[in-house]
Amino acid sequence: MRIKSGGVTDVGRVRSNNEDCYRIVPEMGLFVLSDGMGGEAHGEIASAMAVETVVKHCLEGENNPAAPIFGETQPGWSAHTKRLASAVHLANRCIFESAAQNPEQQGMGATVTAAWITGHELSLAHVGDSRAYILRAGALQQLTSDHSLVAEQVRRGILTAAQADESDMQSVLLRALGTNPQIEVDAEDHLVFPKDVLLLCSDGLTRMIMEPEIAGALQSEPDSAKAAARLVDLANERGGADNTTVIVVHTDTETRNWFSWLRFGQRKHSNGNGHAGGK
Amino acid sequence: MAKLSLMFEERLVKEVPVGSRAIGIGRSPDNDLPVDNLAVSNYHARVYFEAGKLVVEDLDSLNGTFVNDIRIERATLHDGDSIWIGKHHIKVDATGDAPVPWDSGRKTNAPRINETMVLDTKVRRDMLQQAAAMGERTQFAAGRLKVPTMVVLSGKTDQREYALTNKLTVIGKSGLATVRLKGWFKPAMAAQINQRDDGYYIVAGDKIPTVNSAPISGPVRLNDGDLIEICGVRLNFIFRE
Repeated sequence: MRIKSGGVTDVGRVRSNNEDCYRIVPEMGLFVLSDGMGGEAHGEIASAMAVETVVKHCLEGENNPAAPIFGETQPGWSAHTKRLASAVHLANRCIFESAAQNPEQQGMGATVTAAWITGHELSLAHVGDSRAYILRAGALQQLTSDHSLVAEQVRRGILTAAQADESDMQSVLLRALGTNPQIEVDAEDHLVFPKDVLLLCSDGLTRMIMEPEIAGALQSEPDSAKAAARLVDLANERGGADNTTVIVVHTDTETRNWFSWLRFGQRKHSNGNGHAGGK
Repeated sequence: MAKLSLMFEERLVKEVPVGSRAIGIGRSPDNDLPVDNLAVSNYHARVYFEAGKLVVEDLDSLNGTFVNDIRIERATLHDGDSIWIGKHHIKVDATGDAPVPWDSGRKTNAPRINETMVLDTKVRRDMLQQAAAMGERTQFAAGRLKVPTMVVLSGKTDQREYALTNKLTVIGKSGLATVRLKGWFKPAMAAQINQRDDGYYIVAGDKIPTVNSAPISGPVRLNDGDLIEICGVRLNFIFRE
């Protein structure tokens, strides 16, 4: 699978510091996004620590598949999903221990959403309310379930989705990295198809823009980095109440076969985004 | 608290209070108000509170939902209204008020609400318990055991039956598709079925599928027993015990 990606993080229009953090490792197809919390500068420390730890642990796992796996894994998961979940467990422990050792960091925490694409396989691991979506054939589907109080209430049928959008309890998380020595990590395996668009984003995006608009912006912009920037701009236009971070990943087939060449000709391939001719 | 009374002629069949959870009405026994009549769809309508108002919504039922003799898709209910579904009707008693918003009086617990915070485990358990009490009985235990399944009625596919265990299911010729179509000129990704919080939705891919013979115009929520047709393959969506 050929992958193109781009990411943008922005402080927004209201906050003075950016507690979000993200990292793209294109060679590995690894994408990690984290939203920190905990006042002062500590949210930033927590989210940076989450991202660094996840990337480092996955890299270690690639170089040495026998590296220890932390936390619980499910037998059905692929090796990459197990590694990714393990990395999130490790990140939790790092943040928790750092907060325990430094009293001024008490209460810091972070969300994390990590995606790892290898071939046709997509591994996802997440904790908190940062989301992963996939746009496939024009339909935007959320892959993660938020670990927030309102989302849980919607799942239990106590609130409607509309009530949840208006609730003032939206910032209350049920799970986050760094608050407990042990944590439950959601992880999943998926298959990616050519022309899928993967989106990872912090809640700064999803609270400002509705899903249909996100889908529209992703569909109208074939360039990953520009699409990410467009989404962040939209969130800021709507008020930018929180830090907004967006990673957009486009997938496509590795090679083109003779049949698609016959159908579409060479010109279309040379510019790679599906628009024949033009600039 | 508002109350719904299911009546057959002038006989009371069942009575349920309306809490913050939606009340389902239909032929399927897992509805809160099951109506055993062939003229009634499996999931016919639902009643819920929205912004303090009691609302009835028809779930695209075949024979329609009527409020005081007017066919509705969605309507606000008032005390004394009757919802007619087939030969049954449901009396609406809204003398009580809208349910108390769940977060009232709890704001003291969250002093800096626009800052993200995490509930520690004990507070979390308490809050969820309280939340569960507000939502009355949760029907999950019964609902969760059912496995959504696609049964192939006709057409060429690699299996006769598919359990939908993944959030994303693709129907197509692609080697990655769950429901693999066979034969010439079949699209790699004909359609997809996505699992969302409130159910399974069929979404178009390269082709537009039909659900119960009607072509879909956007994501359509699948109900038990729905017939899907795509690229000459007929599929039946059911929940297997």
